[in-house]
Amino acid sequence: MFAILALPALAALCLLLTAFRLAELLPLNLWWGAVIAPDVTDVGQLLFHHSALPRVAISIVAGAALGLAGTIFQQTLRNPLAEPATVGTAAGANLALGTAAILAPFLLETGRELVAIGGGALATAAVILIAWRRHLSPVSLVLAGLVVSLVCGSASALLVVLDREYMTELFIWQTGSLIQNGTAVVTDLSVKLLIGFALATSLIRPMRILELDDESTRSLGSSPAVLRLAGLIVAVWLSAAVVAAVGVIGFVGLAAPHIAGMLGARTFARRMVVASASGALLLWFTDQLVQVLPLPEEVPTGTATALIGAPLLLVLLPRMRAVMPMQGGSDVASPRHVIRWWMPFAALAATAATIALSLFFARGVDGWHWASGAELATFLPLRLPRALVALSAGAILAISGTLIQRMTGNPMASPEVLGISSGAAIGVTLLFLIGIELDRTNMILAATAGALLTLGAIVMMAERTFFSPDHILLAGISLSAMGTGLAALVLASGDPRIDFLLAWLSGSTYRATPGDALTAGCVLLVILAGSPLMTRWLEILPLGQATSIALGIPLKTVRLYILIAAGLSAAVATVFVGPLSFVGLIAPRAADYLGYHRPLPQLFVSAFLGGVTMAVADWLGRTIIFPWQVPVGLLIALIGGPFFLWQVASRR
Amino acid sequence: MSVGFQYPTRRAFLCGSGAFAAIPFRSFASSPPRRVACLEWTAAAMVMSLGLAPIAVGDLKGYTQWVDQPTLPDTTLDLGSRGEPSLELLEEVDPDLIIATYGYGLVAGDFERFAPTYGLPLYAEKTAPYQQARRETQRLSERLGREREAETLLLRTERTIDQSRMQLADHKATPLCLFTFFDDRHLRIYGTGSLLQDVMDRLDLRNAWNGETSEWGISTVGVEQLATVGDARLVCLEPIMPHAVRMMRRSSLWQNLPAVRAHPITTIPTLWPFGGLDVAARFASLLADKLVSV
Repeated sequence: MFAILALPALAALCLLLTAFRLAELLPLNLWWGAVIAPDVTDVGQLLFHHSALPRVAISIVAGAALGLAGTIFQQTLRNPLAEPATVGTAAGANLALGTAAILAPFLLETGRELVAIGGGALATAAVILIAWRRHLSPVSLVLAGLVVSLVCGSASALLVVLDREYMTELFIWQTGSLIQNGTAVVTDLSVKLLIGFALATSLIRPMRILELDDESTRSLGSSPAVLRLAGLIVAVWLSAAVVAAVGVIGFVGLAAPHIAGMLGARTFARRMVVASASGALLLWFTDQLVQVLPLPEEVPTGTATALIGAPLLLVLLPRMRAVMPMQGGSDVASPRHVIRWWMPFAALAATAATIALSLFFARGVDGWHWASGAELATFLPLRLPRALVALSAGAILAISGTLIQRMTGNPMASPEVLGISSGAAIGVTLLFLIGIELDRTNMILAATAGALLTLGAIVMMAERTFFSPDHILLAGISLSAMGTGLAALVLASGDPRIDFLLAWLSGSTYRATPGDALTAGCVLLVILAGSPLMTRWLEILPLGQATSIALGIPLKTVRLYILIAAGLSAAVATVFVGPLSFVGLIAPRAADYLGYHRPLPQLFVSAFLGGVTMAVADWLGRTIIFPWQVPVGLLIALIGGPFFLWQVASRR
Repeated sequence: MSVGFQYPTRRAFLCGSGAFAAIPFRSFASSPPRRVACLEWTAAAMVMSLGLAPIAVGDLKGYTQWVDQPTLPDTTLDLGSRGEPSLELLEEVDPDLIIATYGYGLVAGDFERFAPTYGLPLYAEKTAPYQQARRETQRLSERLGREREAETLLLRTERTIDQSRMQLADHKATPLCLFTFFDDRHLRIYGTGSLLQDVMDRLDLRNAWNGETSEWGISTVGVEQLATVGDARLVCLEPIMPHAVRMMRRSSLWQNLPAVRAHPITTIPTLWPFGGLDVAARFASLLADKLVSV
């Protein structure tokens, strides 16, 4: 009974808020006239008809479109966590719009939506391809979505590094602003919503068939692949239309179908309707809220949904059923490597060679050259700390990633995915928002505090869910969403200082000092020496919960230890190389791919690969567009992201 | 034979060589810096306006896009991004002085190993940017040994502003609203605390925007906020992107804004709103020319 009343009650609240705000703009008795035939010479009526009402309307229409898209995504992918933001559609559309803004601004005059749809469809296709091998399991789909979103985000950030002209515009899209300047956009989106609704209605029967498993679907004479494709096309088109109209708005598409479920909508047809309604109300309410709240500067609505939605997801998580079947993390198909006595020495030699290369070979005013002994004396203090910090941070992140992947038994987990890096980023961004001077010490303090607080939050939440790996991962994902939202908010503010924040956020070793190199090196040595103590746990944990308990592992304690070791070391590395790096995700995969499946070899090989990759990337970043620099984090994300996607997609 | 010539005593020799060694040092200490590197644009434009060309500037391409004038010579080296100027290049070009706005991620101490540093704390607080620009120009000129040029610049700026004020004598009735497009829905409006506002005050022009501004004297708002400025004259700083142009042609809100109905939009060529006196003078004369020609 109560549930049925919830939506009308929220609607009444929204109406009240809206009426209250509109009455400030225009006296009640003039409303009808302003809607039907506004006297545009009157400012109140002009704003009422061409700005305030369109904004209310677009919040309702965009919310409904997102709710509908989310429902279709969740139905076609049989996945309770799918929505435009989690399957990469939003990030892909945003990247495409950013690329167009910088490379071909004329496209945005007329072809804005096609650009957004193209980008969104490509990104979604990539995510689905990756998750396909894992039967579109909820967590793997969301993780693939996160990786693709991060790669798209890095590519956008690289565009900004190379050409700042339309940077603010790019960030405004990311924050999802509902400001309207006329009735054209909302009319356009309404038509699309109606078409989307009609298409979805025609898909009701096929969608219901998808509730059966693939075998039964086939025996009914339908092809599950075709049905899914049809549903996905509608959902991607709707979400891309929303991004093109107002920018990225997260969590509405995720929350609305779940609200519909809680309100008792069981069939697809009912969920479709109720989710659209609740999506509309959610966005309407959020948009009214950001306008009513007495904030110094209005928070863009898309940021608000991310900031409200992420903690909400965190609170709701422990109540959700564990959604992921246990899976082994190792790549058994590839041949197993034999460890030989000379391998450690070869690794050391390769590391030394990399460092030497990055110290001697570089570009200057006159192009590429090898530094002579005398020159080296000048440049060594500039190059050595960076090279060493990159090497150590890369190795630390790789070890942290290996620990986390072994602990969760999920090959797509990493410190970046866990939200520790995002926590550090949130710390630094908050520092910036509060207006404290961004010097080195403050930044390090804020990053460490942010990372440790996040770690604490994750540990606490994990405790309530008995350290179930997928809950931890999902918590990390919502934290990353929050970090991205906050960062976009600051970056869109147009503050002249954002260059410096941007430099750190995109992961750079620019500010590395000899002291940093020493600290990072020591942390690396400690964790290298300490991790062999965990070998037995790391061997058994991927075999699954039941096996681990049967073998006498105190599951909760062990997971806590590993989480703290992985988290602390990742926090240190993040302080030095910024939050955006894929090393922790990729290096353990690469080691596994090369055939090092046992815990200890995987740990050391991945540390070696992570360190060397990071050092090489740092050297490349310093030299390829000299005197400009590509932040090492961005470079790794752009190289490593596609490698990761290929590696996951080609697995059996 | 040996009477006329005396070998110098060791002390005399040391003194002499010490004096010799001190010559380049003293000449260095007393002669003003010639090879100046500027890590960001405000500093670069200010050094240029004192008649000295910086040898290297952060984000050269951005400078031409967003600052434009004073035009830097072609020989100027690009130092890379403003957030992360290339240290190796700084080492190679070996400047006498490194000028930047320190404290926003760049720490003066990081650059002291290459050359003496000089901090240009422009518009850090929200008070009277024009006065601050005058003070900072004089302080910088003392460091660069260009007091005469600074004196001229100060006078020239005053004169330009006075001339523009006289030129605008008949145009003071209409208040102005000054903004840059972010995209087709958002603007950056200049208000209290911005250099441009200060110049407008000196021109006896009224700014129609009296909303809240950030510590840089700007506020980011939606297009609909322009309805609050009534029939003020809209003055837009370039660049204007194609889809903003399209919005101005198509948007029902834009077309019906009192300000848009009242006057055509005035555009001002690219200038750096966070700049110094040269920007103030340039803005005054551009604004006067544009408003008079309407």
